[in-house]
Amino acid sequence: MTKNGQPTEPLIDRRTALATGGLAAAGLIAAPYARGLLRGPSPVFLASGQRYDGPLRQTIEDGLAAAGVDAGSLRGKRVLLKPNLVEPSRQIPHMTTHPAVILAAAEALRGWGASVTVGEAPGHVRDTETALIESGVGEALADGGLEFADLNYQAVGWRRNRGRCSPLRGVYLPQSVLEADLVVSMPKMKTHHWVGLTCGMKNLYGVLPGIKYGWPKNVLHHNGIPQTVVDINATLPRVITIVDGIDCMEGDGPILGSPKPMGLVAVGADVPAVDATIARIMGLDPQKISYLALARRRLGEIEDSQIEQRGEPWRPLRSPFRMLDEPHLQELVAVDSELVT
Amino acid sequence: MGVSRSFLNRLASALPGGYSADSAPASEPTAWAAIALAEAGSLGPARKACDWLARVQQRTGAVGVTADQDLPAWPTSLAILAWQTYDAHAQGKHYQANIDAAVAWALNTSGRTVERKPQIGHDTTLVGWSWAPDTHSWLEPTAMFIRALYAAGHATHPRTLEATRMIVDRLLPTGGANYGNTRVLDQYLLPHVQPTGLAMWALAAAGPDSLEGRDPRIGASLDYLQAAIARPLGVASAAYAVMGLRSHGRQSGEIDALLQSLAERSLRERSPYKMALVAAATQTCVRPEANGGAASNPPSHNATSNTTAAPA
Repeated sequence: MTKNGQPTEPLIDRRTALATGGLAAAGLIAAPYARGLLRGPSPVFLASGQRYDGPLRQTIEDGLAAAGVDAGSLRGKRVLLKPNLVEPSRQIPHMTTHPAVILAAAEALRGWGASVTVGEAPGHVRDTETALIESGVGEALADGGLEFADLNYQAVGWRRNRGRCSPLRGVYLPQSVLEADLVVSMPKMKTHHWVGLTCGMKNLYGVLPGIKYGWPKNVLHHNGIPQTVVDINATLPRVITIVDGIDCMEGDGPILGSPKPMGLVAVGADVPAVDATIARIMGLDPQKISYLALARRRLGEIEDSQIEQRGEPWRPLRSPFRMLDEPHLQELVAVDSELVT
Repeated sequence: MGVSRSFLNRLASALPGGYSADSAPASEPTAWAAIALAEAGSLGPARKACDWLARVQQRTGAVGVTADQDLPAWPTSLAILAWQTYDAHAQGKHYQANIDAAVAWALNTSGRTVERKPQIGHDTTLVGWSWAPDTHSWLEPTAMFIRALYAAGHATHPRTLEATRMIVDRLLPTGGANYGNTRVLDQYLLPHVQPTGLAMWALAAAGPDSLEGRDPRIGASLDYLQAAIARPLGVASAAYAVMGLRSHGRQSGEIDALLQSLAERSLRERSPYKMALVAAATQTCVRPEANGGAASNPPSHNATSNTTAAPA
């Protein structure tokens, strides 16, 4: 590796991407950059009535299959589960991905022969051990025999910015991300007081190492939040998402908002399509979420007509989330949404 | 209460240290190890750590986060503190050139300021130090540079004084500090143990008689730390909490018991970083600098008196 770890890396060309074909390939073979070149509606799986003490493993297996993920293709693959542990607090469990969802996903993927690691670079907390304690995730991982990768402090490698939405020439990624065959973004379904929504795409801010980007990852903020969200998603190798939408957060998310019980699990290999569906359920217009608008057609689909709902349709599940009454958020919400201070 | 000689030997054998047992050497863990070992009188191993930091120091004077990552260079602060601590205990000026270069770099480096906005509670015009180049000033790196500049004899430099004001400005009204924000969109943020510990450690250098030292948020923050150490914490947060408390003269049997437990945990994990923090938290280097005025604790003592048969 060269000084500051800036090696060259292979790209997936258009011919390779098109040759993959099929939904399973879109999720597990093609990178996000190439995924935008594929055609056909993107499947998004939704399941309601979910509980943390329910049969989540089965739900997630159903979701992965419905989203086009081929169980056989996972055998022997390295899978990194990336939950949202941005700033965990025992008092606010609806801020972070619930341990039960992480364990269920790990069990499902292990059951299909994958080697599973859980990794996170908490955005606001430099002491990852405390983040694991406060979130309850550390104890759950120990019980489940799962390894944890502290992405904030791992060795890093540089990758060229494939999104090119921000001025960043490239991004530094930690070893566990570079070595993963598949990254599973496991966000909490939440409002975000700057960009409206945080879900599968925004959660991937948390793969970038704090040791290079700081706490918070201010380098990204200064280069534009929507732009860098897209750049990170475009540059990562392969990503799918499993959303913890069971106990959610509305109002002043992503840290201090109020609980919003929804009982949902969402799964998809087209991360923008999942985020757009979640936005609709929350009463937000995906076209007005800046990073989703930027991601549209480059990384995935966000138009309803281009998304194939599997499991359950989103319309009966719609329950607008309260949003902060701030000028930059007012335009994102539907007429029946409540604005709060 | 100190850590045992065998603990220090284990720490010394892990030099230069990384953040975890199997990770590559990094500047922050190595600097903390140097500080702790020098304070404990283990000058040979401390010298080894200081030499490693000197080798990774760049021509600019900066010390990057790891040997192969020149940027960011916020550990420059801890390298200054490590070299200064070693020289003080070795009664020499072995690293004076390194210190001078690093201080010059630090004084020419600053966090980005932005115009004040009603959505943001803290004073965004105050200058401290950032994590990454050309980004905003944040609490933890600024706290580290304050201590470094005090140790290097720049207690009254305008940058040190402004940075101290910045730390006080970032304290929450009811005590404690978030990673750096106070209020965002009309809501106060959550306090966290690690940044609060570092903030208190930095402010101890200014002393209780300074303007910042009289701020009621400091007492409230110490109370927050005192309460926080009673609940489960990561080793790093707990160690920084102890540094913050001890540097303000708050010592208790509870802290001694906590340090013992932290030492055992850090040894089990074989984390050089955590071992170094625990060792540093037990040493006099966490107490107020003599020139800072808050000398409520005795001056540094030698290795023999500061080591016990305790943990691990």
